Amino acid sequence: MTTSPIPDLDATSRRPGVGRELWRRLSGRLARLLAGLHQTWRRSLQVRVVTITLVVSSLLVGGFAFLIADKITSILLDNAKTDVRSRLTSGADYAAKQFSLYSQPQEAQLQETIDGTVNYLAGGDPQQTSGVVVALTADGAGGMILPRSSPAVDFRPLLSPDLRAAVAGGNVANQIQTGRLTGDRATKYLVYGSPVPTRFGQVELYYFVPLTLQDTTASQARATVVATGVALVLLLGLLAALVTRLVVTPVRVAARTAQRLSAGLLDQRMAVNGEDDLALLAASFNQMATNLQRQILRLEEMSRLQRRFTSDVSHELRTPLTTVRMAADLIFAERDGFEPAVARSAELLQAELDRFEELLTDLLEISRFDAGFAVLDAEPTDVVPVVHRVVDRLSGLAERVGVEIELDVPTAPVIAEIDPRRVERVLRNLVGNAVEHGEGRPVRITLGIDDTAVAVTVRDHGVGLKPGEEKLVFNRFWRADPSRARQTGGTGLGLSISLEDARLHGGWLEAWGAPGQGAQFRLTLPARAGDRLITSPLRLVPADATLPFGATSTDGLLAIGPASDGVLVVGPAAPAPEQRAEVAS
Amino acid sequence: MKRRLLSGVLGAVLVMVGPAGCGIPERSAVQTDHRGPAAETSWSLGRGSEPPNREASGSDAEAFVRNFLAAAAGEPDRAYERVKQFIAVPERSGLQVKQGSEVALSVVRLTDDPVIEQDVDSMKVTIAVQQVGLLRTNGMLVPPLATETTYEFRLVNAGPAGQDDASFYVSSPPNVLLLSDEALRLYYQAESIYFWNSERTRLVSDLRYLSSAVPAERRVSEVVRWLTAGPSDWLRVGVSGLPDRTEMINNATGSDGRWEVNLDMPGADDVRLEQFATQLAWSLLELDGILEIKILNQSRKLVDLGEQRTANQLYRLDDNARRFCVYEGAIHALAVANESIGRVPVAPAANHDVVSAGLRRAGDDVLAALVVAGADGRQRLNVGRGRDVVESFTAGPLHTAIGRPVWLRTGDQPAGLVVADGELYRFDGRAAMYPVQLGLPGRVDAVAAALDGHRIALIVGGALHVAAISWEGGVPTIGPTRRLATSLTRLTVVDWWAESRLLVAGAAGRPAIYDVSIDGALETRLRDDAGAEVTHLAAYPAAPTSPLAGTFMYEANGVIYRNNPFERIVREQVQDVAAPPAGVRPGNPTAPIFLY
Repeated sequence: MTTSPIPDLDATSRRPGVGRELWRRLSGRLARLLAGLHQTWRRSLQVRVVTITLVVSSLLVGGFAFLIADKITSILLDNAKTDVRSRLTSGADYAAKQFSLYSQPQEAQLQETIDGTVNYLAGGDPQQTSGVVVALTADGAGGMILPRSSPAVDFRPLLSPDLRAAVAGGNVANQIQTGRLTGDRATKYLVYGSPVPTRFGQVELYYFVPLTLQDTTASQARATVVATGVALVLLLGLLAALVTRLVVTPVRVAARTAQRLSAGLLDQRMAVNGEDDLALLAASFNQMATNLQRQILRLEEMSRLQRRFTSDVSHELRTPLTTVRMAADLIFAERDGFEPAVARSAELLQAELDRFEELLTDLLEISRFDAGFAVLDAEPTDVVPVVHRVVDRLSGLAERVGVEIELDVPTAPVIAEIDPRRVERVLRNLVGNAVEHGEGRPVRITLGIDDTAVAVTVRDHGVGLKPGEEKLVFNRFWRADPSRARQTGGTGLGLSISLEDARLHGGWLEAWGAPGQGAQFRLTLPARAGDRLITSPLRLVPADATLPFGATSTDGLLAIGPASDGVLVVGPAAPAPEQRAEVAS
Repeated sequence: MKRRLLSGVLGAVLVMVGPAGCGIPERSAVQTDHRGPAAETSWSLGRGSEPPNREASGSDAEAFVRNFLAAAAGEPDRAYERVKQFIAVPERSGLQVKQGSEVALSVVRLTDDPVIEQDVDSMKVTIAVQQVGLLRTNGMLVPPLATETTYEFRLVNAGPAGQDDASFYVSSPPNVLLLSDEALRLYYQAESIYFWNSERTRLVSDLRYLSSAVPAERRVSEVVRWLTAGPSDWLRVGVSGLPDRTEMINNATGSDGRWEVNLDMPGADDVRLEQFATQLAWSLLELDGILEIKILNQSRKLVDLGEQRTANQLYRLDDNARRFCVYEGAIHALAVANESIGRVPVAPAANHDVVSAGLRRAGDDVLAALVVAGADGRQRLNVGRGRDVVESFTAGPLHTAIGRPVWLRTGDQPAGLVVADGELYRFDGRAAMYPVQLGLPGRVDAVAAALDGHRIALIVGGALHVAAISWEGGVPTIGPTRRLATSLTRLTVVDWWAESRLLVAGAAGRPAIYDVSIDGALETRLRDDAGAEVTHLAAYPAAPTSPLAGTFMYEANGVIYRNNPFERIVREQVQDVAAPPAGVRPGNPTAPIFLY
């Protein structure tokens, strides 16, 4: 039975855990860094240009640096080789001459001659170390000739078997080897070998030439090239940054100016320096801004004049109207004394004067809005009495038309900071419209409230609105059926004024309608004046509305969106903030 | 964007790593350039001869002994090895081996044939020798140190018993390397090398021995090594070597008439190099061609050896030597064969009572030193100088007997040597005689001078000596003498008859005339039987190309002879003599003289 060592589970399990944690942290940091870089990359033209310049110039300069350094090294090496080759050739020549005096390897003077020859070839004085080592070997002479070198060193380790084989085979060959011969440090040597023919067999002559100088020169050249390259790349990067900055700064200024311009600061201009392209851009920009400003001012002026005209016309009409009114009132009061046709005309005159007066009033109101003179007199007000007052006011009309007004109002007071006069006018308008277009069906008024807003919906079951009319209804003098005579009330400006009132409150006035299902209007106001509306306490689309295509749920919203096969589908929408017909401010 | 980032990173890496990666590599693959030089097949110069080996003699014991005495010949570094081949194997280690320049061969002259006695299992060999000298590795034969006159050793049969032709081994050999003079003649070449005299005006010959085993290619190297090593000891007073610390760098190389010598020569200026070139040209007499002299690898001079020799003659020597003799107290020209006859250079007024004379040409002038007998039988030296004919003579002091005067051939002041009453004197142009101390016991019998004027040969106490002369202020000073070993005894006269050869008359049993090399090692018998003791000897040391080369005359028993061929010179050959009166026995010409 064997027992295997129980692995230290603790340590092994903890380590990967720590590792994973570290890895996660690291990768998180890396991801953040990358994201930051990415963002910087996307946002800054300068960064992009500089980076690309750096990368491209690095590649180019790196390539050139490599070529130059390689070339320098090979030239140095070639020079050294040529030099050594010529020395070797003359050396081998000399040695061959010296050895030609001997025909047997055992002649005693031969070894002396070998010594003398290597000393001579090494420069005579072995003490004078130029680093060059000259060596003679005679492996073919049966060991009778000892290998000699000058200075006397052990050169065997630097003599590779390959080189010896090549030279022994009668070739002049060379090789670079690193080793220690004369000094303490390992040095690169160019080992050059040549065969020396003699009468007693072949002797091999080797030169070991240190490449210290060449190595130093090559590395110096390399350092110079690298330094130059790095400096060049940095310079290029700097240059790119500078140039980009030169271009980008005015562009940024232009962008900022354009932003300010679009924000309405029409007198913003760019500074024009010099006469270059950027100056041209700035000048053109300024020109454009000036033109725009002029156009806008002109339009504004025109619009102001128009509004002024409307207001003036309204005012100017009021005075004669008052006279006419007084005359008409007189005639109207005396109508009983007239013959029926004239009396009828007096009545008509009276009615049309009422409408005229109303129209003038509305026009004045609208022109006040347009002129921006409308001021909100907001005060905390209970909305419930306002609703009741409106219903009371219109109850007469409702009875006359035969419309029942249903009220869904909380019993508790609903306090909001509103201008009660304007809210009342809005509600009156909405309810009046509903009663008018109710076609005898009941009109329902609902008051809703939440923390931030107060909402009132007015629902009728009249002809309803065709698709697209939800927005048109707020246009001035808009009528669903233009052919319909302006029989009943309505100046065509009521909803426009209501919309302006709602806007003045910072609230919404929206409409919903469907043919045959009636319409619903919703007024939403912030509970505190100046607050921004986010939602409405009440839904715009009434709960009893039937959706087209027989939608399933009455509760859920419908959404229209693209389906997978490219057709539009209508289906239940995801629970989301209220979908409204955007007429809000 | 990712791609851009990637390329950016790549670029940065390239910039940093790229240049750093393209330096000189730590090691590279072997790169073969081209084929190296191949051995040339035409090695023109062959090897010289070597002495026979042990087996060459077969069963001839005497031949074996002679071969043994030649065994050491050859290149000195293997001399011991060669000799050991002759020695019985167990005894080889007994031979004390010397190394390098300490190797020296004892050159001996066998005074008799080897005595070989058969013993029980070996042969006993006794050789009687004359110690000639010590041949050093640098080719110099220096005076002998050993004094042995006999050597004994034994021969053992090399093969198994009964087989005789397996030659022998030497047992109990002498503890020196012996070399017979015969082997020296056979296996060495005597080479003349030249050194400048102290004044650097004239080349003085010195003698070296080059082993025949040395291949011809190395001869130049050897000669240059000899020159850098300096002259022989006995010559040092009169000549100067190369500048101190002159050394040859490696070997002299070359072939096909072009040679190259690389030297380390301190203070080598153009004059020195020119002189060295001349020195080399004459020392390498057998070479013709171009020799390049390099000093410390710098090519300094190209020498055409032949031209250099032509331009710098060793001696200004009159090719047309004239023979004269003394006949009836006057100098007369001699007519020999078809040689042209000279004009007597001594005015008739002075030409009487002459015993012997020394004549010399000095440019257009003639120098004459006459030994004249006075009325009382005493002799005096008359010295004079004149153009073609010497008119006036200055008389010197009287002596009992004066030998033949010898002119020293120097450029400026006339000077000569003469032996008077057994003493050596030098004389000058005014016949003043000054005794010269030789520091040798014994009577001085004869003196002879070389053409260069820096070497003399003397016979002192019956032995042959040589000495060098140094000139100090025009005065010749004789340096230390060197005794030469010759096989002749009872030497009587000597004359110089070639650059490094002497003509010596003495007795080898009978009176004989030998040609002896200047170190005494090489002897040639010229005349075995001179008939009587030779009293006068006159040689003409001409170059080998001259028609009179190797010509000499001698007087023995009052009669003069000439060589080439040997014949007596008779009265009829003496010019300008009146026929003797009838009945009077005509005298014989005596005291032969060469005028050159």
